[in-house]
Amino acid sequence: MNALELDHATVPGRLTDVSLALPAGTLAGLVGPNGSGKSTLLQIAAGLLPPGGDVQWAARPVADIPMADRGRLAAWVPQEARFEFGFTVRSVVAQGRFAHGDDGHGVDDALAQFDLMALAERPVTRLSGGERQRVLLARALATDAPLQLWDEPLAALDVRHALATLQLARSLTRGGKTLLFSLHDLRVAHCLDLLIVLHEGRRRAIGPPATVLTPALLLEVFGVRASIAPDLMLQLP
Amino acid sequence: MNLTPAASTRRARAVFPAVLLLLAALIIVALLVGDVPLSPAEIWAGLCRQDAHAATIIWDLRVPRLLVAMAVGAALSASGLVMQAYFRNSLASPDLLGVSGGGTAGAVIAIGTGWASASLLVLPMMAVLGSLAATGAVLILARRGTGPERLLLAGIALNALLGAVTGYVLTNFTVSYERNAQIIFWMLGGLEDRGWKHVWMAAPIPLAAALLWPLGRPMDLLSLGADEAQSLGVDVRALRRRLLALATVMTALATAVAGTVGFVGLVVPHVLRLLVGPEHRRLVPLALAGGATFVLACDLLGHLAGLRVGIVTALVGGPFFLWLLRRAP
Repeated sequence: MNALELDHATVPGRLTDVSLALPAGTLAGLVGPNGSGKSTLLQIAAGLLPPGGDVQWAARPVADIPMADRGRLAAWVPQEARFEFGFTVRSVVAQGRFAHGDDGHGVDDALAQFDLMALAERPVTRLSGGERQRVLLARALATDAPLQLWDEPLAALDVRHALATLQLARSLTRGGKTLLFSLHDLRVAHCLDLLIVLHEGRRRAIGPPATVLTPALLLEVFGVRASIAPDLMLQLP
Repeated sequence: MNLTPAASTRRARAVFPAVLLLLAALIIVALLVGDVPLSPAEIWAGLCRQDAHAATIIWDLRVPRLLVAMAVGAALSASGLVMQAYFRNSLASPDLLGVSGGGTAGAVIAIGTGWASASLLVLPMMAVLGSLAATGAVLILARRGTGPERLLLAGIALNALLGAVTGYVLTNFTVSYERNAQIIFWMLGGLEDRGWKHVWMAAPIPLAAALLWPLGRPMDLLSLGADEAQSLGVDVRALRRRLLALATVMTALATAVAGTVGFVGLVVPHVLRLLVGPEHRRLVPLALAGGATFVLACDLLGHLAGLRVGIVTALVGGPFFLWLLRRAP
């Protein structure tokens, strides 16, 4: 069954006629130059924008799903975390349980997964950009939603936390969840199941990363020449 | 503040009973203090209606004034809290955004045209209409996602515009000196000569407060972003509509019964947030009780010093706002 299905999603001026289907358990990446519609696509997938087409979660049209249930079925992480009020890290992560009646399940686990235990009682207004990003990711994890939609989760993270986040993403999809996230670092793409390339608001390519990321496509979409060379390799110990 | 989580939770829990205790003490003081000196024994006799003279002073002067002060304080403070969460902006408040000014303009039109004398309902209804118009204008001027500067600038522009409406009514509509004086006194914000009819005008405020009470938790999520809140399962559209309606009506009614009482919606939620943190489940009841306490205290202070309550809240709130601006990063 498809965890997420977009059918001819269109937002005037931002996204044109994008269709895609993610089978459950897929780790999928969304790439494209700045302004190519990645964030818009994720917002549509999360049911936050009227799609001008059809969006389905696990074969259910999102428009038919009551608001309160949506919080249990899909989690969305915005690109930029901005906090006006000084909630503690723990209380922001606990908001992920709102749709579950604030039962507090899995909050500690989510904090631990994103290395936030030491910061748990600190106000979110006193965190760095990368720390704020991890708080929102932990909140998304705490929802325990089967569909996870993350907008550039790695952009603000240091290399260790980025690798740990990728590893966690992989373990989530192994556990049956489906994850779609946007990214800029194409070197990460090789570890994904599926890659979607957006260009000027349209779906330019979709498929396994190895078949999608051809030198011709990289030149056309991103305007860069690709070559493979021995490089600095970074792994978690 | 370097408090352990347990200690800060303990303190947060202690604040609500402390505020209630302070409120109770102020209520007693408000019954004891007045223009006509009465002994505690006379006051007791008045409360029990055993002494006709004291009973009149207590039941027709002091009790309604005290009830109106509490309702006005609770309404303005809760409205400020709601607007801060709604606009994700800790400087938002009914007076800075022009919602109070809208209520004032509506009420001044009602008084200036003489409509207000037709029925007890006209004045509050015109205030509500004026506030609704102002709220609508703020929403249009400051589309969601706009920064604090834009929101506050929209408020300044709106306040200037509404001030012009009020000034026009004052100079062109009014026929009698008496009505003019009534408008001016009323615009300064005061609780003098508030009677039971004002208590009845303010009667929907407790109802609005009861409707607001359970919205604390979703307000937490909304205050960190509307899209985020919706993705977490909050029906953001319905919540926003309800919050804005409640805040507008409460502000309008407070303005209708007491005139312009500034800074309550800014000062009280801020102080409470410093004391107990940003969780709205705690802040909503506290803002209601704390606002009632603050305005009652300001009215008593003003009564002793011969100042109207609007002047006292401005004397306290103005410097506080400046301090806040200096402190904000």
